Amino acid sequence: MRRGVTRTSTGITVSIARDPALVRTVRLIAAAVARRASPDEEFVEEVRLAVGEACALMVGESASDAGPVTVRLALDTRLCVDVVAAGPVAMADSFDSDVDGVEPWALLRGLIDDLSIERDGDSTTLSMSWPVSAVA
Amino acid sequence: MTVFVRRVSRELGVDLSLETRHEGGQTIIEVGGEIDVYTAPKLRDKITELVGNGEYNLVIDMEKVDFLDSTGLGVLVGGLKKVRAHDGSMRLICNQERLLKIFRITGLAKVFVIHGSQADALAER
Repeated sequence: MRRGVTRTSTGITVSIARDPALVRTVRLIAAAVARRASPDEEFVEEVRLAVGEACALMVGESASDAGPVTVRLALDTRLCVDVVAAGPVAMADSFDSDVDGVEPWALLRGLIDDLSIERDGDSTTLSMSWPVSAVA
Repeated sequence: MTVFVRRVSRELGVDLSLETRHEGGQTIIEVGGEIDVYTAPKLRDKITELVGNGEYNLVIDMEKVDFLDSTGLGVLVGGLKKVRAHDGSMRLICNQERLLKIFRITGLAKVFVIHGSQADALAER
């Protein structure tokens, strides 16, 4: 964090329709929040990529009316991101579910140490977080 | 603060540009912008079209790519499979560390031949 700047707690919730075109918008917001946490562009890029991956997983490849995907970003001592969607989401890569053999879960797990996914009733929540002090 | 977003991003312009040219018996696709879950199908369609036209030696120039996710990686892997089915090749040009990191994390740095510049890619046919 830049000297002389006081970090205040930040919370933003974004809700998007299940339309792949909207994932970019969430990435832009995630990058803005990450930049508030740290001027380290490598960190900002990691958050942008991870949130984009998580959203893409939840949204799917084609637009649908299966309900919105909600992304909650909270910045305090950690940057915490929850991505919530109605319905089940595969919790691991399968042999033939992806486009051409690349595994989105492998990328997410390679990027983030603190990653979890929970199913609660009819909704699925993918959570991830980063220590802010470590990168500030 | 809560923000509701619906189809606004489409109005921000096309997020992916594709330019194709031929040089030294190879087809170079210069990709610009963001390759993600929304735009990756456009790149997949372009590769499919080229392979359908009998162009089996492709070079994907990613120097102007700002963002790449697993969907984009999937399209590249699919393209590689397509050209290899015709004994062709697909090589990448990428010198951005943030993109190279993605190839390393997913193990694809060992699958693709990745060059640092067009000159290198064309010289190592």
